[in-house]
Amino acid sequence: MFKNYIKIAFRNLWKNRTFTALNVVGLTAAFGVAILLAMYAVFQLSFDRFHEHGDEIYQVYTEDSGLNGIEANISKSEPFAAALKDEVAGVEKITRYVSTGVLLSQEDKQFRMSTAYVDPDFFNMFSFPIIKGDKTSPIASESSVVMTELAAKRIFGDENPIGQTVTILRDEVEVPFNVTAIIEDFPDTSSIGFDIVLNFKSQNEHAYARTVGRWDMENHEVYMQLSEGLKPEQFEKSTADFTQLHYKNEIDNAKRDGLQPNADGLYRQIKVLPLADVRFANFNQGPVTVSRTMPYLVLGISTLILFIACVNFINMSIAKSAQRLREIGMRKTLGANKKQLFFQFWGESILVFLISIGLGILLAVFLLPYFQTLFITQASLATLLNPSLLLVLILSILLITLIAGGYPALLMSRLGTLQSLKGKLDVNGKNHLRNSLMVLQFGIAILLISGTLVLWDQVEFMRTKDLGFNKDQVIAFPLNGQLNDQQAIELLRNTLQDKPNIVSITASNNILGLGKDGSRSTSVLGFEHQGRGVETHMVVVDADYIETLDLDIIEGRSFRKNLASDSLSVIINEAMAKQMNEDDILASQIDLDDAVYSVVGVIKDFNFQELDQNIAPMTLFALPNWNLRNAYVKVSSQNLEQAYTDVKAAWHTIEPNAEFQGSFLNENIDRTLRHERTMITMIGSGSILAIILSCIGLFAMSLLIVAQRKKEIGVRKIVGASVSAITILLTKDFLKLVVIAFLIASPIAWWAMSKWLQNYAYRIELNIWMFLGAGGIAVVIAMLTIAVKTIKAATSNPVESLRTE
Amino acid sequence: MIQIKDLEKFYKTEEVQTIALNKLSFDVKEGEFVAIMGPSGCGKSTLLNILGLLDDPDGGSFMFNGTEVAGYNERKRSELRKHNIGFVFQSFNLIDELTVFENVELPLIYTGVKPAERKQQVEAVLEKMQIMHRRNHFPQQLSGGQQQRVAVARAVVNNPKLILADEPTGNLDSTNGNEVMDLLIDLNEAGTTIIMVTHSEHDAKYSHRIIRMLDGQKVTENILA
Repeated sequence: MFKNYIKIAFRNLWKNRTFTALNVVGLTAAFGVAILLAMYAVFQLSFDRFHEHGDEIYQVYTEDSGLNGIEANISKSEPFAAALKDEVAGVEKITRYVSTGVLLSQEDKQFRMSTAYVDPDFFNMFSFPIIKGDKTSPIASESSVVMTELAAKRIFGDENPIGQTVTILRDEVEVPFNVTAIIEDFPDTSSIGFDIVLNFKSQNEHAYARTVGRWDMENHEVYMQLSEGLKPEQFEKSTADFTQLHYKNEIDNAKRDGLQPNADGLYRQIKVLPLADVRFANFNQGPVTVSRTMPYLVLGISTLILFIACVNFINMSIAKSAQRLREIGMRKTLGANKKQLFFQFWGESILVFLISIGLGILLAVFLLPYFQTLFITQASLATLLNPSLLLVLILSILLITLIAGGYPALLMSRLGTLQSLKGKLDVNGKNHLRNSLMVLQFGIAILLISGTLVLWDQVEFMRTKDLGFNKDQVIAFPLNGQLNDQQAIELLRNTLQDKPNIVSITASNNILGLGKDGSRSTSVLGFEHQGRGVETHMVVVDADYIETLDLDIIEGRSFRKNLASDSLSVIINEAMAKQMNEDDILASQIDLDDAVYSVVGVIKDFNFQELDQNIAPMTLFALPNWNLRNAYVKVSSQNLEQAYTDVKAAWHTIEPNAEFQGSFLNENIDRTLRHERTMITMIGSGSILAIILSCIGLFAMSLLIVAQRKKEIGVRKIVGASVSAITILLTKDFLKLVVIAFLIASPIAWWAMSKWLQNYAYRIELNIWMFLGAGGIAVVIAMLTIAVKTIKAATSNPVESLRTE
Repeated sequence: MIQIKDLEKFYKTEEVQTIALNKLSFDVKEGEFVAIMGPSGCGKSTLLNILGLLDDPDGGSFMFNGTEVAGYNERKRSELRKHNIGFVFQSFNLIDELTVFENVELPLIYTGVKPAERKQQVEAVLEKMQIMHRRNHFPQQLSGGQQQRVAVARAVVNNPKLILADEPTGNLDSTNGNEVMDLLIDLNEAGTTIIMVTHSEHDAKYSHRIIRMLDGQKVTENILA
């Protein structure tokens, strides 16, 4: 009997080639894309899950009462970690963690290495298995270096790296380090990434020695492993005394300044965040929020796309069942029972689904490289090759097949023998289902289209917004060579001084947007002013900073060319001036521990952070010999490309071994929008696929409806209906569905998008045209789809259509 | 074999009730060949559907082999049907996607006959119907007469006690029609009971008895042999 089913299934599929093709194409596309999207989402969700003790590892942060409400702070001070372990029960292991880049040399070769500075507990907490060398205490010494297999291969080739010496540039001195261990290359799903690992104490003077014993200098993160069985909430509660002891001043000041305590009534509270949540945590806006919206959104889109393709399958199967009534009737007459018929029809569905899934997998394999490039992801199909996940996938596929294939099969097997033998099908009820499903399909498509339009509008807004500085003519790049920053800038000025297309050159310790090297840092300074605590972002700059970036001075002056004479001057932004609340701001001073600084100028607020944040108070310092990190070169607008080449060439002469990682500031801004762009591409391609699939379904339906109403069309034409009247007659039922879909989807889209826009301090206003546009696109595409068949039917010779009846 | 008494069947729409069978009664003995005639709409096909257990009567009694089957549910009817009754339709009702062999094989599949035995039985009946050479053809590749022969083969492959034929020659020319009638006669002579609905006086003459109907009732009954 099984053979008989298979045979008839193949023959049936072949006989209805058009519908089979429409179904297989739709389902293949849906499965292919769903596999890729699921892979992406699973990849995102599986970050940091490979650590054996992952469930016990937490990132430590504090919730502090700040001027703008509760602030989450992940930066910790040098003595913090050790004190926490000593004074609070439940800290099994703890490590400080700083991620940065260093210049490593081996013989005459130089390498830019991504580096993690950690404490020895690091290797006992995280699962970064050591495969060669000292497995017990590889970074116990401050002159030890541990590297990944890949990094060791890069540096030493096939030589045994253990025991070898490399030098690392630190405070302008080449410091020797001994390779003590090699660790296995770790999965791409690690948010902690590095080429080499060094002892925390091996950092430069500025980052470590200067901060020893200081509770007020916070410049690194801390991870800890909780004792087994201890709940994080219990631990958080038990840190109260510790906080009271070490942050007494801060707490008293917060009370004095009338700041709001957090939900637990505390002005500073130590909190821990599970390792698996770290990647999804937002520390920038008030209390920490963990959001896995993006991967779930992606999973959601893949489900919606599969749903649309399955709806097509269901609708086509039910509509086509009318043509199989005689077969159903005859089989029943000959003794087939419901169960046998159900399995026969379900088997046919399974066949279509299996073919589509097979082709879908091939499609996913084919599209994978493009997908990886487009979404800048390391996710691969291997992500899905894990037994429990495969089981979930197989079960979902079975479930989809059971529902999408089973429902029409159930309907067909339940038809009455006589009724089906006579070829009569009660279609009223099923049309309701079909119509509702089609409304859902188009609703989803309209939802995704309007989402894409709003997202695109917001990103364009952020991309083109006047941020208050010149982003089109300024090239920024990290000072990543061997020279110290001041020397490098001096040489750069000298090398480029004759170039007519170079306008000005400066440097600062911050970067605007996101640089090519992907690094970013921010320093926030808190101090007392007029008996109140104030906070400001601290940016240390070189001469010509304000001029190079075209910042507007609204009061006072810029820094002098002779920067040394301004070492005790600061320039603040409007937000800082507002916070200081002085009558004569230019007469005011900032009193820090080491010196008193005079405010010599006020600049207009500019967006030095991303647009999801309001402009914070900011202070520019002109401190000598400060670590400046980034160069900014303003070039003339005439020939940007040539100017870029000149700057690059100059950097190569100055630092022949360093990579030039320069980019225009507008590119840096674009880079900060990567998350949004990924979302646009995801939702955008989702919406395109959704509308295409919905239209495949619509097209199939129009084929069937035109066939079913052939006689009616003929009769109407004979009694005088025009071509347009017939076309409208056939089109309007479908268009009605699209319009209903629009009416349902638009308010949902409006609600969802306005909620999403709340994430941005600077955002567009939602406007009705974005939604009408989405509806319009859907209606036009739907009309074009149906028009192909309806116009043909309307213009055909009525005698023919009557004859075939 | 069949006793029907006061058999009733109504068709209802929202406003009108049509009486298809109006207290119809007659018997059919085992081995008989009965023709049922009458104008369109007189209830012939409704009667045949009820006799074939494809439809349920609204009133009266229907005894099949001494058992009352009028109130049987679909499962019981299906069970009884597949072991006892073969059908031949005017429009053949062959499944287009199956070959001649596969069409004839179908009833055996549903009664759970083993493959080897099925092959033997199907081949035997195809030989008998003289369409063995067409065994791998699809219905569309055959003439009307050949298709009806396949339909007859399918109806008898299970060795049913009763064959119900609904205008078996209605779609055939006279030569092919006669051939099909000859097949039915042969089957009847071999012991199969046949009830045939027909418009053709010519075909009806092959039967033992003609029941004429009008408006759901029996009007006359002619015994021919």
